[in-house]
Amino acid sequence: MKKKTTKDIVIINIILLIPLIIYGIFKNGYLLYERNLIPFYIIFKPLYLTIISILIKFFFDFITTKKINVNYNLLYMILISMIMPYNINILVYIITLIITYLLTSLLETKFKFNKVALIYLIIILINSIFNGLTFQNPLESTASFNFSFLDLLMGRCIGGISSTSIIFSLLAYTLLINSYYYKKDMPLFINISYLFLSFIFYLITHNSDILLNSELIFASIFIAPLPKYSPYKVKGQVIEGILIGIISFIISILFNKVISIYISIFLVSLLANLSLKKNN
Amino acid sequence: MKKLIKLLKDKELNYLNQINDFIDPTCIYLPKDNNYQVNDYIYKNTFINNIPSSISGKIAKIEKRKFNNEDIFCYQIINDFKENAKNKIRKKSPKNKEELMNYLDLFHLTEIINKINEKGNLNNIVVCAVDEECYSFNEFISLSNYYNEIITTLNHLLEICVINNGFIATKNTDSGSIKKVKSILGTYPNIKMKLLPDLYLISYEEYLCSYLNIKKEETLIFNTNEILILYNALFKNRVLNEKIITISGNNIAKSLIIKTRIGTPLKEIIDKFIEIKDNNYNIFINGIYVGYQVTSFSDVIISPSIHTIIINKLVIEEETECLNCGACFKICPVNINVKKCYFEKMLSKKCLGCGLCNYICPANLKLKEVIKDGAYEEKNN
Repeated sequence: MKKKTTKDIVIINIILLIPLIIYGIFKNGYLLYERNLIPFYIIFKPLYLTIISILIKFFFDFITTKKINVNYNLLYMILISMIMPYNINILVYIITLIITYLLTSLLETKFKFNKVALIYLIIILINSIFNGLTFQNPLESTASFNFSFLDLLMGRCIGGISSTSIIFSLLAYTLLINSYYYKKDMPLFINISYLFLSFIFYLITHNSDILLNSELIFASIFIAPLPKYSPYKVKGQVIEGILIGIISFIISILFNKVISIYISIFLVSLLANLSLKKNN
Repeated sequence: MKKLIKLLKDKELNYLNQINDFIDPTCIYLPKDNNYQVNDYIYKNTFINNIPSSISGKIAKIEKRKFNNEDIFCYQIINDFKENAKNKIRKKSPKNKEELMNYLDLFHLTEIINKINEKGNLNNIVVCAVDEECYSFNEFISLSNYYNEIITTLNHLLEICVINNGFIATKNTDSGSIKKVKSILGTYPNIKMKLLPDLYLISYEEYLCSYLNIKKEETLIFNTNEILILYNALFKNRVLNEKIITISGNNIAKSLIIKTRIGTPLKEIIDKFIEIKDNNYNIFINGIYVGYQVTSFSDVIISPSIHTIIINKLVIEEETECLNCGACFKICPVNINVKKCYFEKMLSKKCLGCGLCNYICPANLKLKEVIKDGAYEEKNN
């Protein structure tokens, strides 16, 4: 077994995210271009968002430390760019990301919370003022599709710009599961508790909309178990996982399926920190 | 019990399958006690601080030297190359356990006596010829070269202690020694050879007994060095004041196994045998994970507990902020909450000092040094 540095772990995670970004370009770029819904240069919008995030991160690195660091902040920025809605305005994205990145970095010194989830929620809030709260791309908003289960697994669900591919998310999970650095129990319990509740909900109401939630799968695999914001003991991971699953389910029913997971991840990480502080 | 892991081997490592002798040092250093002064003559095998002098000669001076990772005052004994020994121990070989204890006491073998006394009902004796880290070849080479002596001693111990189960445990990768041991094992019906997987920590009592399917409480475990000490005491009536050490690492041309005398300055051995590739290097004593680091060879003395010297290319591992990944907790074989102990600066009695937490930590935190050795006290002071 080879020792891994922080840089190695971050790079492995980024490599595992690449197929999802490529699928994002296919779903939210190529398919739209093919139907003449967008000009050619917009095909690569998912990639532009990722590059912008990386550049902002490196810019801050350069200002603060005069060198470029490959650390978890880089992964956070890439993840944020992947979960953005298709309708995000690039200018709004750049400005809000810079402000929220600075703000959360300051807040982080006082409170421990999932930074990725909070930045996402703030950007979504601001974007919804200008563009409304929608996660559909032009194709999804203009037509109605009857996708097969396999299509949905591949990523034809409604969600973030590069985060909808369930297959690639699960593939990444199976590769991460053997790593000593990955908190594998958390995604498992988030999904088990969410699926359990939504299945009961389906049995009662026959509403299958919330059963398959690609955003929940993506966020539970990549965002909830981020080491800094999640417990390292299995017991803690199980408790937090179940809590996130339950809260996500409730928010999915009452408010919005896509952002439910981010609200619950943020709330649980904040609550966990507050309860830890109280106990100490 | 946690699953053991296989550590990554250093690909740049190579070694010679033979023992080089260095038994004529110009001087040796032994920890100072109050019985001798400068200019006193020391006979060979005179016990100073329970360590036998491996040469004879006069005490030239008293100097500070690094002995077992401590800077202590030592006698410098200049070798007169006469090998004058004063008290040769002459006593009949022991016939039972009680006689064995008294006999070993004559040789100041306190550690071995305590080891035997710790166990109540003995049912098994194991000679564990396993080198944990890839940088050490002592056990493998000792078994390969002294298999006759080791098996004879083990058989003798089994007879004295009236035990029927003797085991020689070695890694299944050590093909050379396996072949040699098996060639003579037929004449010793009470001794079995057991092959162990090449996993880190396999020689630790708990894991070893578990793999051999024997009870820990009823088992006495020796390494090959201890068995050779017993062999010399039981069959040769002499104190073993020589040691086999490995000098290896990826910054030297060839790793060597050297037979040397206890108290020899490491610098003398390095100057004679070792060709160092690059001038920037790290020196580890007794292993990268379980051992400790020193800054130079000049003060280090070959003490009875030193068995491996590793000279590796300089790698600067910068400590960064803890990621909270929990890898240290996951990998710890005795389930210590490593992170908590580290940040609350708690020493752990359970800690084996295996160094796996240091090995796995992506932030390069010196976890073992704080939890096992209490290094924070030094930092704070």
